[in-house]
Amino acid sequence: MGTENQFFGGCDVGSTTGKAVILKDNAIVGTAIVPSEIDPEETANLVLEQACRQVDGLSGLSGLTRLIGTGYGRNEVPFAHDNISEITCHASGVYFCNPEVRTVLDIGGQDVKAIALNDQGRVREFVMNDKCAAGTGRFLEMMSRIFKMDLDRFSELSLQAKSVIPITSQCSVFAETEVISLLSKKKPAADIAAGIQASIAKRSFTLLKRVGIQPKVTVTGGCSKSRGLTSHLARLLRLDLEPLSVDPQLMGALGAAAEARKQALGG
Amino acid sequence: MNQLARRALYAKHVATNLTAIAGMGLRNGPIKTLRDLNRYPWMKILLQANLLNEKFGKNRDDRYYEATLTVISYVVKGFVRILEDMFLRGDRLIIHEDMVPPEIFRAMGLTPFMAELLGIALPMIDPHAVEQYIDRTENYGVPPDVCSLPKSTMGFVLAGELPPALALVSSNLPCDGGMSSYTLIERTLNLPTFRLDIPHHFYNERARTFFVGELRRLIKWLEENTPGKMDWDKLAQICEERNRMVEYELELWDMLKNRPAPLAAEPVYLSHLWGANVSPGEPETTLLFKRLCDLARKNLQEGTGAVPNEQHRALLWNPPLLHAVDLFNWAETAYGVSLIIDSMSYNRREPFIDTSSEESMLYGLGLNIMEGPMARHTRGPSENYLDDIFDMVKRFDLDMLWVAGHVGCKNTAALNGVLREKCREHGLPMLIINYDLSDPRIVSKEGILEQVNHFMENIMNARRLDV
Repeated sequence: MGTENQFFGGCDVGSTTGKAVILKDNAIVGTAIVPSEIDPEETANLVLEQACRQVDGLSGLSGLTRLIGTGYGRNEVPFAHDNISEITCHASGVYFCNPEVRTVLDIGGQDVKAIALNDQGRVREFVMNDKCAAGTGRFLEMMSRIFKMDLDRFSELSLQAKSVIPITSQCSVFAETEVISLLSKKKPAADIAAGIQASIAKRSFTLLKRVGIQPKVTVTGGCSKSRGLTSHLARLLRLDLEPLSVDPQLMGALGAAAEARKQALGG
Repeated sequence: MNQLARRALYAKHVATNLTAIAGMGLRNGPIKTLRDLNRYPWMKILLQANLLNEKFGKNRDDRYYEATLTVISYVVKGFVRILEDMFLRGDRLIIHEDMVPPEIFRAMGLTPFMAELLGIALPMIDPHAVEQYIDRTENYGVPPDVCSLPKSTMGFVLAGELPPALALVSSNLPCDGGMSSYTLIERTLNLPTFRLDIPHHFYNERARTFFVGELRRLIKWLEENTPGKMDWDKLAQICEERNRMVEYELELWDMLKNRPAPLAAEPVYLSHLWGANVSPGEPETTLLFKRLCDLARKNLQEGTGAVPNEQHRALLWNPPLLHAVDLFNWAETAYGVSLIIDSMSYNRREPFIDTSSEESMLYGLGLNIMEGPMARHTRGPSENYLDDIFDMVKRFDLDMLWVAGHVGCKNTAALNGVLREKCREHGLPMLIINYDLSDPRIVSKEGILEQVNHFMENIMNARRLDV
């Protein structure tokens, strides 16, 4: 049977957002991102419905030839045919976009992962920080809330910095206190914001060092959209980060869809 | 193996173990044994040693199951013998460190009691067994980042739960934590103490000869400070018996090279851990290895693997995970992982002891210690650590390395960064399990399994076979 009428879905149920990607003929035909609900199954339903609606000729979820769940809520997607860890899916998603990438930093809402890929797009090595909120998307959200800004504006603010005020606290709770204290001392907000982005970049850098940094390097996950953060990271790495052709926040879902296609076609 | 045969085998081993324990109680006297249970509360945990049959034997079958239960019974009987020696021949008891050759004490008619043994054995039975002793040591002022094994040992000493002894013998191996613990132990027990001075760089003849001199100094010191007297013929007997054990073990290793491996996990590492460190040169140890070889040979002849669906062949680096010691039993079922060999067993560069003279025996015993894993791998140079790993991978046809990354081991933590890079070069998949050797409060067993799951799924592309 040909693949012309086959649709392959990937659903990444993250702690902050749910993401879905639908592939047809190895091309992306539908994507969606929704804020996570308390119930991961509900998140998966919502995001997949949104993605399916964008695809002509796809009669909802039941029309998917194969669906793979990933992310922290991957076990709670009962209608998925299979589930695969987000580490493998991010690797697979990045490989789908650019097979030359060898190192991936995934900064998600609740954890950070450094992933080394081989030339087949398989995970060669990985390390993760899943014990500490500092350096994750949640930390960035907390910090932007102090500045009463959304993440985009917070990122832009950091890019206006004239200098970087280092945030020395290792813990997100203490860092919050430190930032409030700096603001109350009337230190420039942009410089503090840059310090926050730099602190996340430094944490990510040490994680990347452990898997061995091999070019090309890219960043995935929601935080990859923070230009302030990626510019600090690029400076630390002394190389340009590889841009991806697809929204990097969708990389886990894209990888899941690519894995679904591979499984269905026996690749 | 049908259910009836399995149950019969299980019952036989449980009965053997209970008989050994009861026999010790009777010989020691029932009333005295009850008093001793009060005096040494850790004995109550040892009474539950039959739990190991379930821990290690679960899901295993046929000869692998038999080999597993046989090793457990051997260890239980070995422990019972230590307790019996402690109770009935306590007037000749010497407390010694794990890097001191027990053969010497036995040949001198003394009763060796390896202080670290409790900290090693108890968490295998009850994962939380040594927490109170670790806390006691830390509350005494020992820094929390010291290895939890010497902390457990110090805890037993501070709690007054080690048996009375004539003397204390330690060495400058294997690590700073181990060495420093004997200062506290010496001060607390107030015993005459001997420290073997082992050369830091021992890969030359001068260092090896120096160690022979150290062993002679030990013997002289023991003769002056205890009723022990060296019987060189007895030492020769012990060394020859040890050589027979080694012959069998090398044969077993040869068989393990085959895919699928005819035996794995506890029959390989636990047998060695006890046989080479606690009861070397005893006929029971030789018999155990002979039996293991027989079982492995039959499996090999039939092409039967210990793990029915062997998918992966693992090397375990560093000591077994004491409080999650059934990790490999789980991994066999979950992923078809065979633990083929481990670093603690691999000290076989010059395995046989030449018994032709006093000098040659001491030389061989010295080599066993100096070339043993906890010395060779923790003292450096780093090539020892790295070369042995890749030698073993080649020799046993292994496809992955699991490093038990004990947070308290500074020596190996420093080496693991280098190892990570070397594994990358060799294309050897490596998992470093972050955990604490004896304390499950640092990383729980569930936390350990999660790390393995991540590794198996993402690096080995393996699927759980049991879900």
